[in-house]
Amino acid sequence: MKTLGAIAVIITGALLLYASEDFPAWGDPHSPASQYRVSQHYILKTFEETSVPNMVTAILADYRGYDTLFETVVIFTAGIAIIAILRGPIDKRVRLRLASEKKLRESNLILAQTCRLLVPIIQLFALYVIAHGHHSPGGGFQGGVIFGGSLILLAISFQLQTALDRVSEKKAILLAGVGVLIYSGIGLVCLLLGGNFLDYSILHNLLQVDPITARSHGILGVEIGVAFTVASIMFAIYANLSSRGRMKGGL
Amino acid sequence: MVDQYPAIILLAPFFAAIAVSLFGSWKNGLCLPMAIIALGISLAASIALLGQVAAEGEIVYLLGGWSRPFGIEFRIDPLNAMLLVVVTTVALLTAVYSTQAAVLETPNKYPQFYTLFLLLVTGLLGMSLTGDAFNLYVLVEVASLTSYALIAMHSKRAVLASFNYIIMGTIGASFYLLGVGYLYIKTGSLNMVDIREILQETGLYGSKTIMVAFMLIMVGVWIKMAFFPLHGWLPNAYSYAPSSTSCILAPLMTKVTVYVMIRMMLTVFGPEYVFQYLGWSNVVVWMAVLAIVAGSIMALAQTDLKKMFSYIIVAEVGYMVGGVWLANETAFIGAFYHVISDAFMTLCLFLAAGAIITKTGKRSISEMEGLFRKMPWTMVGFVIAALSMIGIPPTCGFFSKWYLINGAIEAGHWGYVVALLFSSLINAILFFKVFEVAYFSKPSHGQEKDENQPESAGTDGVGEPPATMLAPLLITASGLLLIGIFNQDIVILIRQAVSSFGFIGFLN
Repeated sequence: MKTLGAIAVIITGALLLYASEDFPAWGDPHSPASQYRVSQHYILKTFEETSVPNMVTAILADYRGYDTLFETVVIFTAGIAIIAILRGPIDKRVRLRLASEKKLRESNLILAQTCRLLVPIIQLFALYVIAHGHHSPGGGFQGGVIFGGSLILLAISFQLQTALDRVSEKKAILLAGVGVLIYSGIGLVCLLLGGNFLDYSILHNLLQVDPITARSHGILGVEIGVAFTVASIMFAIYANLSSRGRMKGGL
Repeated sequence: MVDQYPAIILLAPFFAAIAVSLFGSWKNGLCLPMAIIALGISLAASIALLGQVAAEGEIVYLLGGWSRPFGIEFRIDPLNAMLLVVVTTVALLTAVYSTQAAVLETPNKYPQFYTLFLLLVTGLLGMSLTGDAFNLYVLVEVASLTSYALIAMHSKRAVLASFNYIIMGTIGASFYLLGVGYLYIKTGSLNMVDIREILQETGLYGSKTIMVAFMLIMVGVWIKMAFFPLHGWLPNAYSYAPSSTSCILAPLMTKVTVYVMIRMMLTVFGPEYVFQYLGWSNVVVWMAVLAIVAGSIMALAQTDLKKMFSYIIVAEVGYMVGGVWLANETAFIGAFYHVISDAFMTLCLFLAAGAIITKTGKRSISEMEGLFRKMPWTMVGFVIAALSMIGIPPTCGFFSKWYLINGAIEAGHWGYVVALLFSSLINAILFFKVFEVAYFSKPSHGQEKDENQPESAGTDGVGEPPATMLAPLLITASGLLLIGIFNQDIVILIRQAVSSFGFIGFLN
């Protein structure tokens, strides 16, 4: 079996090398991918068509917004899947140990105070990243991960329970669902108003702006949805994995 | 409204999945009705869409209102319009079937089960709808991730089987993604039709990168559809999964992937490139012959009912891959007709197996004694599915084999003809072995009770399964007969699609 695997790897590697012979030169401005009308269109027309200065955000959330919707769904699915597989019945005996844990939590002064200072700043920064996706690198995925990270920091530096007291697992999954709902809901509103699914320009009547600005607002809306899902699923996955699905103890 | 059908088909199960995840844990009883209503809407929309496509030809739906090639589009021709009806029908029947099965097999995980189930259906529908090569990958991811979780929810053995499936499935998906990446390097586009036009216009047929991209994509989808010898993950994953999961995965996952292969070959690369320029048809058809023979022989060696069915699927995948690669119209019609009929045949078999296993608790073929007496209606469904698998008219299995064999004769590929007949023969042996045990052998321990109550159906409390299990089974079984009887209409639709690909006999 091992030799079979090695042979498969060698053949695949050889094929990849063989294919690379035909590649355009690295960073070549005349390569097909940068010459073809798709990328030309994105580079020249993005601001004109969506009023978003950050091209990447416009492609991600508008031109190929349907892809991103399902990328968000993939993350959501991962969270649901981990709960479906790992989540066992809550162990009642562990609750007794909580009293001693509380003592431990208070004893570590430096850790506690540092985190107390850090967590709100991290979360503020996360919100900034989400909101500023239009103009600079950032957006829902990045901001969501940062926000989720702040909750995980709470769980690591205190106890898992400390973080769960603020966002319980049930709430996390609910928020993740809300995130997907925000994204797809915006798409659905477009459909109900008579446009195609995810055609944000149709929202201009609702938002009282011109169709191109409506696209920009639509992008912000879906980024917020993505952030909800990513942040809460990050935390839900951590909580389940670190406590083997029991939601008690943790790392 | 009318031009929104493609979106409605996809969005109904999708929004139901979100609703189940939001409200399911609050009221468990809401999950199933929401799933059934959503799938009903989806089925109605896909039937309406099929009528529309049959009347008007290809339909394009632009997501976000961006035109090709800047945005993502759905492209619906008769092939995927039919596939959509198949997917939604199978999903709806399985959802009805899961009424009892899900309670028994995944207690406490009720909302998660239905969320994943509906997302799986969404993924499969999205795979069938899309006209964008990268978007296809995203939806493959959704469908795969949900199926890994659904399989692993059952037992310890299922977890291991699912882990194997994750490794193999991820390798397959990565190969596919790498192939799409290579295509993008050379063409600069992700839209399926657009890629084919660029390949034709800029004379990229000779490019090594394009050839490797084609190989990577093919190997990727072959892993996903369990084409022999890449089938290793399938038997355990499908046989240890909870019964409602295997009822939806076994019929749909492989068939939708076969459709993806067809789409990639004919729409993205184009028949000219695949059959004429590369000219690998002969090699792949021989691989398919190998798959058919090996799958059948391995099925013969099984003692577990569901495992036997799983190996039959491996053989059936060989039928379809071979049929497509025979590269003529008749064989292609046979292959796609088989995609449709095999989805229902497999569904019927797995529904019957699910009913038998839930009622008797036995999985082994040798323990099926006296089933014809205990659960006569279940066995009626089972027999029809078996006859269709063997290929006896007027079931649909006969007609797909008829077209496949004719196509193979047209192409002059006798190895494939022999393999098909051989596999039908093995199927006959397999199923009559089950019939023999179930009809003639008497349960050894129930003998005495039987004399006391001669007319009683169940000797050890085993009778017909509940109506929610029996009804889908019987509907599917009658569906097998209907698909067979109305084969002409389906063939006309397939022919309509084939003419747009410009299929000519390439092998001759």
